[in-house]
Amino acid sequence: MTETTETFELRMSRLLPATPEEVFDAYTDAEKQKVWFSILDEDPGVVEIEVDLRVGGTQTAVWGPNRDELFRETQVFHVIDRPHRLVTTSTGSDPSGMTMTTEVEVTFEEQGGGTLMSVVQSGFPDAETRDFFQSMAWVGAFDRIEAYLSREAA
Amino acid sequence: MLNHMVHQRIADDRLDRLFAALSDPTRRGILTRLGSGPATIGELAEPAGMSLTGLKKHVQVLEDAQLVSTQKVGRSREVRLGTERLDDAMQWITFYQRLWERRLDGLEVYFTLKKGTDK
Repeated sequence: MTETTETFELRMSRLLPATPEEVFDAYTDAEKQKVWFSILDEDPGVVEIEVDLRVGGTQTAVWGPNRDELFRETQVFHVIDRPHRLVTTSTGSDPSGMTMTTEVEVTFEEQGGGTLMSVVQSGFPDAETRDFFQSMAWVGAFDRIEAYLSREAA
Repeated sequence: MLNHMVHQRIADDRLDRLFAALSDPTRRGILTRLGSGPATIGELAEPAGMSLTGLKKHVQVLEDAQLVSTQKVGRSREVRLGTERLDDAMQWITFYQRLWERRLDGLEVYFTLKKGTDK
C-alpha cells in the first residue's frame, strides 16, 4: 500500500500472526532478522545484519545478490518503545554509492489476536520541495559554493 | 568491489561536472532564472547581455551536468531545470518500497511457519 501526501511519505502495513512483543522482538533481533530477511530468497546471496538496540544506537543491514552489488541501510534509533513504536533515521545506499536519509516510524498494534505492523517513512523530496530547492534554496547554496571556491583560490 | 569503485568514480565525475557547472556566475544566473519556469535560449540571452552562441555554450555545460534539459519547441530551443533530482527521488522511493515489502513479507512468512511448527 503506497500513497502520496503533501510531503511525500511512504506508508505500508501488514497484519502479522503474532503478538506485538513477538513482532517487535523478531523485527529488532539481529539473529532473527537474518532468518526472516532472507526467508524468501531463492539464492542465498549476501545478508548481514548488525543491531545495537538503544537510543542513539544503529542497525545496519547489508544485502545483495553478490559482494559487488550490495545495498545497505543504516537506521539510528531515536525512540525505542517496546512493543509499541520505533522511530529512526534511515540512510540507504545503493551499489553506486548514492545515499538518501529519511525518517521512519514503525508501530506495532494489537489487532484481532495478531499485530498490525505499520511503517511511515517521510522526507523524500517531492516535486514541490524540489522546485523550491531549485528556485530558492540554491541561491544560498550558490553563495556557499562561491565562498568555498574563493577560499580555495585565495 | 571493482564494480563498486567504477560506480563510485562515475558518481565522482558527475559531482565534478556539477560543481564545475555551478562555479560560473552566469550559469548560476541561468539556473535561478529557470527556477521560475522554462525559457528559450533567446529569453535567457537577453537579460544576461550575451550572444546566443555564448549562452548556448553555458547551457551545454549545464546540460552535461544534468542540471538542465533542452527541447526544441518550434523554431527555438527551450531550456528547463533537469529532472535528475526527481528521478533520484523516485529511485529512493522504489528502493525503500522493495526493502519494506521484503521485511513485511519475510516477517509474515516467518510467523506463519513458526505458528505451523508450534502447533
